[in-house]
Amino acid sequence: MNPNSNSEPVIVLENVDKYFGEFHAVQKLNLRVLPGTVYGFLGPNGAGKTTTLRMILDIFKPTSGRISILGHSSALKVRHRIGYLPEEKGLYKKMKAWSIIAYFGMLKGMPRNQARQRAYELLERYGLKDFSEKTTEALSKGMGQKVQILAAIVHDPDLVILDEPFSGLDPVNQEVMEGIISDLVSRKKTVLFSTHIMQHAERLCDRLLLIARGRALFDGTLPEARKLLPRRLLLETVDDASAVASMPGVISFQAAEKDDGSNQVPRWEIGLREDADSQRILEECLVRNIRLQGFHQLNPTLHEVFVRLVGSEAKKAGFR
Amino acid sequence: MKYAWIIACREFTENARTKGFWIGLFLFPAILFLSIQVPVFLQKKAMPTRHFLMVDQSESLAPVISAHLDNLHQKRVLQELIEHARSGLMDPGRSELLRTFSNTDPRALELFRTQGGKTAFLEKLKPGLKPGTPEFVEPKPIFQMMSLPSDVPSQGDLAVISEKLRPYLKGDKKLNHQGQKRDLHAAILVPKNYSGAVLRPGAAMDPGQPQSGIEYWSKNLADTKLREEMEKAVNAEIRRTEYLARGMDSAQVLKIEQTRLLVTSLNPSKQQGDEKVNSGDVMKQWAPTAMVYVLWIAVFSIIQMLLNNTVEEKSNRIVEVLLSSVTPNELMLGKLLGIGAVGLTMIGSWIVALFAILSWVPGAGQIGPRILDIARTSPLLPAFVIYFFLGYFMYAALILALGSLCNTIKDAQNYMGVILMILMVPIFTMTFIPRDPNGAVASFLSWIPLWTPFIMLNRINADPPLFDLVGTMILLLLSVAGFLWLSARVFRHGVLRTGQPPRIMELFRLLTKSSKG
Repeated sequence: MNPNSNSEPVIVLENVDKYFGEFHAVQKLNLRVLPGTVYGFLGPNGAGKTTTLRMILDIFKPTSGRISILGHSSALKVRHRIGYLPEEKGLYKKMKAWSIIAYFGMLKGMPRNQARQRAYELLERYGLKDFSEKTTEALSKGMGQKVQILAAIVHDPDLVILDEPFSGLDPVNQEVMEGIISDLVSRKKTVLFSTHIMQHAERLCDRLLLIARGRALFDGTLPEARKLLPRRLLLETVDDASAVASMPGVISFQAAEKDDGSNQVPRWEIGLREDADSQRILEECLVRNIRLQGFHQLNPTLHEVFVRLVGSEAKKAGFR
Repeated sequence: MKYAWIIACREFTENARTKGFWIGLFLFPAILFLSIQVPVFLQKKAMPTRHFLMVDQSESLAPVISAHLDNLHQKRVLQELIEHARSGLMDPGRSELLRTFSNTDPRALELFRTQGGKTAFLEKLKPGLKPGTPEFVEPKPIFQMMSLPSDVPSQGDLAVISEKLRPYLKGDKKLNHQGQKRDLHAAILVPKNYSGAVLRPGAAMDPGQPQSGIEYWSKNLADTKLREEMEKAVNAEIRRTEYLARGMDSAQVLKIEQTRLLVTSLNPSKQQGDEKVNSGDVMKQWAPTAMVYVLWIAVFSIIQMLLNNTVEEKSNRIVEVLLSSVTPNELMLGKLLGIGAVGLTMIGSWIVALFAILSWVPGAGQIGPRILDIARTSPLLPAFVIYFFLGYFMYAALILALGSLCNTIKDAQNYMGVILMILMVPIFTMTFIPRDPNGAVASFLSWIPLWTPFIMLNRINADPPLFDLVGTMILLLLSVAGFLWLSARVFRHGVLRTGQPPRIMELFRLLTKSSKG
């Protein structure tokens, strides 16, 4: 990954609002995506992710605010530098795999022959050479989705926008999709993708924007996101551990959820202030004769961060 | 425009690959070909010979009926000989034989018979025939008189005779004809004295005379040709005897009956000196009606194609990817042009097929050049092309707006019903307009833009007033622009919409709110 904070941002959103009738879908949204970065757009269903992506692509006009993409006010002016994969994937059923990829390449400004040649190259590179001449209705769902992502990147765009690229993919194809994104990153492309699957965002993103009910709740890096939750320790002991609650730097003390069942030793989750020293807690436990069978530092997961930030909204949306 | 062109090319090639396109391409010429060939085939090959028999106790009508039916047969023979001559002669245009016999004057048949009939005709024809011309095959007679079976008496009570004939008429018994079994189609029974059944205008029936006339027995009630021809022959004979009874010379009467006053149809719209109306002029008057029908089929089938295509793109969400590459207006224009080109290809092929069939198919050889002449000398073809495009763009705009609001074909078909009802008006008025092309109804309908292309095309050969022609065209152009503009607005808002199609008020809001949205 190659974030380059000194470069001009690829996408800028300033105070962008979008109304559908009375419904305020996106509220005062600000965003800056730097070139060469992978930007994760996270939020529960109905948060306004797709609407924002459509506004970035000039499919929808914002009600107010300013959008700049690759230095232009409309994505259509730089269509040849942008690739887009929508959330709901569909292809022309009667078109052959190579021709649909070439068609979208031509719509992005590629000459016919170049688009055709590039379509065959991509199909070969991603293991679909034998299906080049098949109509898309003859392809499996996974193959069809692969063809669609290839159609989105056929013109070698500088910016690739992927709306829920992992939805509907089986684990194998999710890995393929991750591979494609990593490939784009290795070639210094900027990727903006929306998802509600946290593991993908954790693995791939340089920066994250969390959006819920049309409002940005967090914009920053993964470490910055983790800092939003207190540091935690997990103690395992059969002794009385209540004394830990009064130790210096401890802000919370509670019984932790049991693990999968094999371990019957009681577990305690301890929240720490940012400046607290975990070694000191360990020393205090030894001094107070608390026999520890386990002592772990816990890093907050993105899931936990977002559950915390979005609360019940996130639970309803099924973050994982 | 470049991107609209790419979309148009895809729409054209993808639609041109569908089975529906090829079926549409060949269906019309096939129907046209069959509509000409099937009746000719049925007339020539499949028309059955009707075997009938006659019991004429009066001994006066049988020869008359028989002669009339023979005359009919000779008329067919002459027609077939003329066709044979047209296809076989090296230079049919200069044939004296064809000039003499190919007219509708009843004297032509008389001349044919007196000059020696088929044999003499073929003799005269022979020197002018192209080498390898096939032999002339005389058509089968339509009616064949049979002899009375031995078990049926010819004299006595007609009721007894008809009872004896009943098994033959019902098909239980067959007639024997040259060693082959034949079905009896009909029996004509003429009583000894039929004069009491002759109806004379103004005269009361003679109560002393029996009133039974000729009995026509047949179980086939659909084919009445034999009965009609028999009646014609009998009534002509009855009138002849009436003339004789009144001391008139029947031969002179016959001649007088054939006396005609020439009536010439003249059209003041034609050039001075050339006002005489010929069959080409009549065709010219009706040709627009045929073109209106072709226009209607073309517009209807293409907008169906457009509707399916739009709903497909919307329902499988391809449209979202397209809109990340092109503007809604480019997408709409591309679809309009691409599918319009599909329609134009289809119509072009129909017109080519029409001329090809009319020129080359036997039985239609005279019509082809006339239609070609109409196409060359009247504004029909340019008007057709102009009205096709304007009509197509107007209805296509409606359909694109409709398709963009519907998520399934089922939703769309409900709305399509309304458009179909609007489209039915030109069909209902299609044959009325040429009869009164510049009348109040035609003029009124011409000014309604949704119908202008069809109605004005139907009026085009009847010299409509310039005011109608130009005025309706300006209104139509403005309407097409308006429809396209409104459609673009609905399309832009509707195409990414999900859920139920909007209600009327919501649609109105879509149309009236600013483009930011």
